[in-house]
Amino acid sequence: MSATFPGIGIWIAAFLTLACFSFLYKDNPFFRFAESLFAGVSLGYYVGIVLNQTLVPNLFTPLAEDFGGNWDLLVAGGIGMLLYMRYVPRIGWVSRYALAIYVAYYIGVEFTRRLHGEVMPQVARAILPIHSWSAATLTSLVFMAGVYSVLIYFFFSKEQNAVTRRIARVGTWFLMVSFGAAFGFTVMGRVALLIGRLNFLILNWLYPTFGV
Amino acid sequence: MKRFLAGLLALDRRWIFLLVALSVTVPIVYPIGLPVTTTGATRAAFDYVESLKPGDVLWISFDYGPSSAPENDPMAEAFLRQCFLHRIRVIVSAFYPLGGLSLANASIARVAAEFPDRVNGVDYVNLGYKDGPTAVMRRLGDSIGDAFPTDVDGKPIGQIPMMRDVHDIRHVKAVFTVATGIIGEWWITQVHSQFGTPIIIGPTAVSAPKYYAFINSGQLVGMLGGMKGAAEYEKLLMAKYPEMNRFYRETKRFTATKGMDGQTVLHTVILVLIALGNLAFFQTRAAPREA
Repeated sequence: MSATFPGIGIWIAAFLTLACFSFLYKDNPFFRFAESLFAGVSLGYYVGIVLNQTLVPNLFTPLAEDFGGNWDLLVAGGIGMLLYMRYVPRIGWVSRYALAIYVAYYIGVEFTRRLHGEVMPQVARAILPIHSWSAATLTSLVFMAGVYSVLIYFFFSKEQNAVTRRIARVGTWFLMVSFGAAFGFTVMGRVALLIGRLNFLILNWLYPTFGV
Repeated sequence: MKRFLAGLLALDRRWIFLLVALSVTVPIVYPIGLPVTTTGATRAAFDYVESLKPGDVLWISFDYGPSSAPENDPMAEAFLRQCFLHRIRVIVSAFYPLGGLSLANASIARVAAEFPDRVNGVDYVNLGYKDGPTAVMRRLGDSIGDAFPTDVDGKPIGQIPMMRDVHDIRHVKAVFTVATGIIGEWWITQVHSQFGTPIIIGPTAVSAPKYYAFINSGQLVGMLGGMKGAAEYEKLLMAKYPEMNRFYRETKRFTATKGMDGQTVLHTVILVLIALGNLAFFQTRAAPREA
């Protein structure tokens, strides 16, 4: 046996990779085993990492080391615990308070984030003044045409007339181009994942196994 | 020809899967070394880091999991190498729950081993994973120590030398978020918008199209889109630092540059298949009219 013979972890990873690939031939017990194992391990990993990396340093340790200075963390921790009350049918309604606080917080954060961080800067970019004629001017005009025609395509509050219908058709062409670009990138991304797995199988598993 | 095209339409799709597997496997076994061209978004990211002074601080956030590691790992490691070569101090975090921290730990371990003179806590620090990215990002504007009281090993942030002059996210010259899903977008729309911190993004190819709008609006410094972006960054790194040229040519590890061979071959195969599929489709549509 070679000194670089792959360890048990590599063999397990190779087996699970092949088990997943086997679905391409047809559904089989190996694939379903790998699928179920992945779901279970992911959940266990998530619980463990949240406990060790978030709850321990941000809640348990501050309370244990300086309770007087950090007692307010109990409020946040308590609200979090309320979410689990839904598993006790008699007092399940209590979890709605925690959920309401979470939803309210998220709406507040998202509202600001979307408006201040996305809508306003994008709108500002869409209405740039034209100072002179250059390649950038042409880009801005195409950009503006795309924004307006797509917005008109998605304007459903009034029935389209002959003019807006034609503009909306231009909008569909812009949408088709963007879908094509997105699909091209998606293919590239999925191919990259396949390349990663096959690289692993060949370079980390097969080559060391056969001493290449 | 007509029989061949008609046969294509009835072809068992598993033959296509086999062809795809071969198209990717052959370039791995017999590397071609096809050239990689760089794009403006990647060059902008690279040049921005090069414009910083040694000692400046950058934040690298591992916001992806194993499901996109072949795309994101090479770009994260290339970026780390550039920081270490340019003497930029690095803060590392992870916001992706399923494996982000494990990938961060692995990448830091690999790259730090290549630069033995870079010291943990002085030249770089790994702050670990935190749940609830939007809340944590908001907190980073007030105090990094409040969001991350300790590093990944449980060492209090006040005892970490490189964090003494880095109080909040405004002290960071830029954030590089290596991202899958929406976490990268949060860095732009929350941290950049509220605190002005420049953002560089390394998204998966699937997410890359939406970030062009953020580049266009000036909310992003640059972008490394998918494996192609990572390969571009490796090329820029090789051109700037001769030792990296040697490293990327000799390493037996997976790199984006190596992966691009398979990408190019398979894309060519896909284009041919699309053309043949369309030919076969139109030929069968035309057939009844001829009859």
